[in-house]
Amino acid sequence: MIRFRNVSKIYSPDIYALKNVSLHIKPGEFVSIVGQSGTGKTTIVKLIIAEEKASKGRVIIGDWDITDIKEREIPILRRQIGVIFQDFKLLPRKTVFENVSFGLEVAGVKQKKINDVVPQVLKIVGLGGKQERFPRQLSGGEQQRTAIARALVYRPKILVADEPTGNLDSINSQEIVSLLKKINQFGTTVVLVTHNREIVNSLRKRVITVDQGSIISDQKSGKYIL
Amino acid sequence: MFLFLYRTIKFAVQGFFRNFWLSLVTIIILVLTIFSITVVAGINVVAEQAIESVQDKIDVSIYFKPGVSEEEVINVRDRLQELSLVESVLYVSKSEALEKFRVQHQDDQIILDSIDQLEENPLSATIVVKANNLDDYPTILAVLENPEIDALVLDKNFDDNKLVISRLSDLSDKIKRVGIIISSIFVVIAILIVFNTIRINIYTHREEIAIMKLVGSSNWFVRVPFIFESIMYAIIAVIISVAILYPLLGLVAPQVSNFFDGYNLDLIEYASSNFLRIVGLQFAFAVILSVLSSSLAIGRYTRV
Ligand SMILES: Nc1ncnc2c1ncn2[C@@H]1O[C@H](COP(=O)(O)OP(=O)(O)OP(=O)(O)O)[C@@H](O)[C@H]1O
Ligand SMILES: [Mg+2]
Repeated sequence: MIRFRNVSKIYSPDIYALKNVSLHIKPGEFVSIVGQSGTGKTTIVKLIIAEEKASKGRVIIGDWDITDIKEREIPILRRQIGVIFQDFKLLPRKTVFENVSFGLEVAGVKQKKINDVVPQVLKIVGLGGKQERFPRQLSGGEQQRTAIARALVYRPKILVADEPTGNLDSINSQEIVSLLKKINQFGTTVVLVTHNREIVNSLRKRVITVDQGSIISDQKSGKYIL
Repeated sequence: MFLFLYRTIKFAVQGFFRNFWLSLVTIIILVLTIFSITVVAGINVVAEQAIESVQDKIDVSIYFKPGVSEEEVINVRDRLQELSLVESVLYVSKSEALEKFRVQHQDDQIILDSIDQLEENPLSATIVVKANNLDDYPTILAVLENPEIDALVLDKNFDDNKLVISRLSDLSDKIKRVGIIISSIFVVIAILIVFNTIRINIYTHREEIAIMKLVGSSNWFVRVPFIFESIMYAIIAVIISVAILYPLLGLVAPQVSNFFDGYNLDLIEYASSNFLRIVGLQFAFAVILSVLSSSLAIGRYTRV
């Protein structure tokens, strides 16, 4: 599903964010990526959604080699990958419902279908009664669940979450993680980048540990080892 | 395509009302710009019309001595007509002058009688010269100083007009200079305002644009709503400007007409017969200004 072949990312001659990274994530997997700050985790996420281009090596999503993706093809890629960020990245001037439906609207989905699907997804993430609120009227956990709903609404095959619990307390964090697990059970490939030892240890899923731009461990049912 | 238009317009309207205060500030700035430029343009119109109508009234009359033959007068007229500075030369012969005199004094039997007493027509032939431009009169007068012509001339009303002419060309120069200064001040202000609008736009939209791209918007879906939003600003700003300017014109126009008493200067008439042109220009200006500024802002932030 996601394949990195000898990928390096050089932001500037003295910043090697990734060095010769190879990894393969299979469909339906739940993979945690852990590592200290500044080791290149977010860079991996950015390469997956074509926010950055690999300096060396190849990045392949599904059957699609996106290493040299054209700018006008990027929206098509992004509609196949749901992304969740630490800072939620919701549109402040749009309601919960509109934030979730926005992606479908720009993809040209018919209004009837949107009115069908969006409430369903909002129910799954537990935001049933709050669809007319604006992001500033929501708690952090609710904002993150809105972001997850937005990522899910395309029915993506891949969900990438970059420290989705970084701004949340532990109860909210647990809820988000169990939501991610639920999504994974529906068959979506989930990539979770996190600092949270508790979460990683409780998941008992595959763990990839990154240090200074290289993968130093990749365990099938791993623990947080740093 | 229909869905695209419908949704982009919807996003534009939402963006407009959800950021109401910023929209209002942008509109007010646009209104001020339109307002000031229209006022400067209006002053220019008034000045130009005033100068034109005064210019129309100015001419130089040359009265010939009684003994000068018609042939000689026509000769002078032709010479003047050849000058490129001269707009028109009107020749009034002795008999025409008499005819006019009679008409002017038709109610005064004594004068008419005394004219009839005279054996010869006492009035002199006249040439009325009009220059293209106020500044050209001195040159034309210099031509008349030519001794050949001077010998035939009884009198010129040049001296009466000389003062008016020089004052007027002074005034027109001053009006032009002040107009240019005021216009350039407003142009500078407008440029600063556009710049600021761009900055506001960049500030409010950069986060939004980045997020839209992250959730898979194509470039057009990001850009077009902002363009529509800026067109909305322009439309509303023009409507407000017109709503302010026309009543204001109603107040100012009578004063202006009074000031230029006797000259044909009706601002209201001018404004209403040119209504579509004025509003069209304002609209074009406002749309260009706001679309340009938002495009600049968008262009910088829609790249991935
Ligand atoms: N746009 C950029 N330009 C230059 N250097 C960058 C850029 N983005 C990231 N870096 C550098 O690349 C390295 C890896 O950054 P990255 O964001 O991938 O780290 P991370 O593992 O996500 O860290 P954290 O856990 O703090 O989020 C860091 O040293 C960072 O300073
Ligand atoms: Mg990071």
